[in-house]
Amino acid sequence: MATVAGVSLYTPRLVAKASDSPKPQTIKSPRLNHPWKMSTRFGSGRMYVPPVAAAPEGLSNLVAESIKSAEEACSGDPASGECVAAWDEVEELSAAASHARDKKKDSDPLEEFCKDNMDNEECRTYED
Amino acid sequence: MAVCTVYTVQSLNSTCSISTPNKTHLGFQQKQVVFYTSSKRSSKRGGGGITCAAADSQTIVIGLAADSGCGKSTFMRRLTSVFGGAAEPPKGGNPDSNTLISDTTTVICLDDYHSLDRTGRKEKGVTALDPRANNFDLMYEQVKAIKDGIAVQKPIYNHVSGLLDPPELIKPPKILVIEGLHPMYDKRVRDLLDFSIYLDISNEVKFAWKIQRDMAERGHSLESIKASIEARKPDFDAYIDPQKQYADAVIEVLPTQLIPDDNEGKVLRVKLIMKEGVKFFNPVYLFDEGSTISWIPCGRKLTCSYPGIKFAYGPDAYFSNEVSVLEMDGQFDRLDELIYVESHLSNISTKFYGEVTQQMLKHADFPGSNNGTGLFQTIVGLKIRDLYEQLTASRAAGSLQATKA
Repeated sequence: MATVAGVSLYTPRLVAKASDSPKPQTIKSPRLNHPWKMSTRFGSGRMYVPPVAAAPEGLSNLVAESIKSAEEACSGDPASGECVAAWDEVEELSAAASHARDKKKDSDPLEEFCKDNMDNEECRTYED
Repeated sequence: MAVCTVYTVQSLNSTCSISTPNKTHLGFQQKQVVFYTSSKRSSKRGGGGITCAAADSQTIVIGLAADSGCGKSTFMRRLTSVFGGAAEPPKGGNPDSNTLISDTTTVICLDDYHSLDRTGRKEKGVTALDPRANNFDLMYEQVKAIKDGIAVQKPIYNHVSGLLDPPELIKPPKILVIEGLHPMYDKRVRDLLDFSIYLDISNEVKFAWKIQRDMAERGHSLESIKASIEARKPDFDAYIDPQKQYADAVIEVLPTQLIPDDNEGKVLRVKLIMKEGVKFFNPVYLFDEGSTISWIPCGRKLTCSYPGIKFAYGPDAYFSNEVSVLEMDGQFDRLDELIYVESHLSNISTKFYGEVTQQMLKHADFPGSNNGTGLFQTIVGLKIRDLYEQLTASRAAGSLQATKA
């Protein structure tokens, strides 16, 4: 029991904050800092950054950890409340990871970044 | 429409009370502070002087119930799209907020009313499906307040951390959707609903969908997916499934009957079960209202590819209710199939010819856009728009009458 509780003592909010922030992703793209090299950048069509398929790293870790601890919790009595609650946590985290993936698929990191930083050099659009 | 449209959001005029849980044996987090309004709104309807009552600003409340991972979010995206405008999380708020807001509609997730956080549930050995993990008193108070035009500070359940975050302000929208595991569980909450929907996913399909969703996730395997579904099943059967008897519309998703022994879960048979006698909700029908009909649209006029499309329609009984059931088995491969089917359905509450097809095409990338799940979700969205328009019209007429009197 003590070990199970120990396993669950992650610091998920920090992880989530770090991985949800759009900044690290936009910085990863070297092209971002050289907008003049992108011909497609002009006009209405902003630069296209391919969507990232995986769930944020932090959530993926949580899912994997939760499966491990569910398997442990169920090794004794598979009908116990402890076991059932552990598998419920797996479901909750898997759903959260799936939602995070969908969100990422929909969103363009540059668009996201520019929502909050309209004045940034990267976010300017030019006529002609 | 000279009726006053200013809605008085009597938000924080009440005392912010620290809810002292009376069910301490459940391990409710004592540290958690929940603010909510508990003021009574004085109704001035029909009296002399100000008649700017709740008449045309009153919020319509829709309930959507389904298990986790059964397409609630997709349905919500289709529904808000029917009303026009995209639904987005509250601007500048908690990035992990579960709320979606569009011009007309606010969607709140009932997980926000968890009384036990993830650690609490683990300690007590209860799942999120268990009513003991949810605060129905607060759910009722807040949904009622919003329905009465009062803004509330709703808690936020953070699905990443498993903790309850500081609350967010929810203002009364035109349409409030409460989606989650228990919108029809508590009678008080259920009685607040103007319309309710239950997504009923058969075990086979649920398994197939969760494999699709989770197999790529690290740590998951067929065994873990199966174990999770099986472990949650007793609570699901006890607390979630029985809610379907109260739903005005049930969308049932089953494996196809067109392919013998199919268990891939790719081709689906979907039933739309519509309760009869619900005010402002006229069930959709095929060809002749009230008759029993089996229809294969593929033939001389329309060519379909394997395994084809099959429709069925007819009256039936569901629990003790009289219902109409529309069923579609198979999937659309081409645009003309969809428009052909749409043109043969009646009472679908479209505003122009081809609106269902247009909505389905607009969101062709959503799951289910080529089968009965997408078709029936879109139709239910249109029926809700119709219900909303009829309800507001009747309320406006009612208040006009009251003003005259």
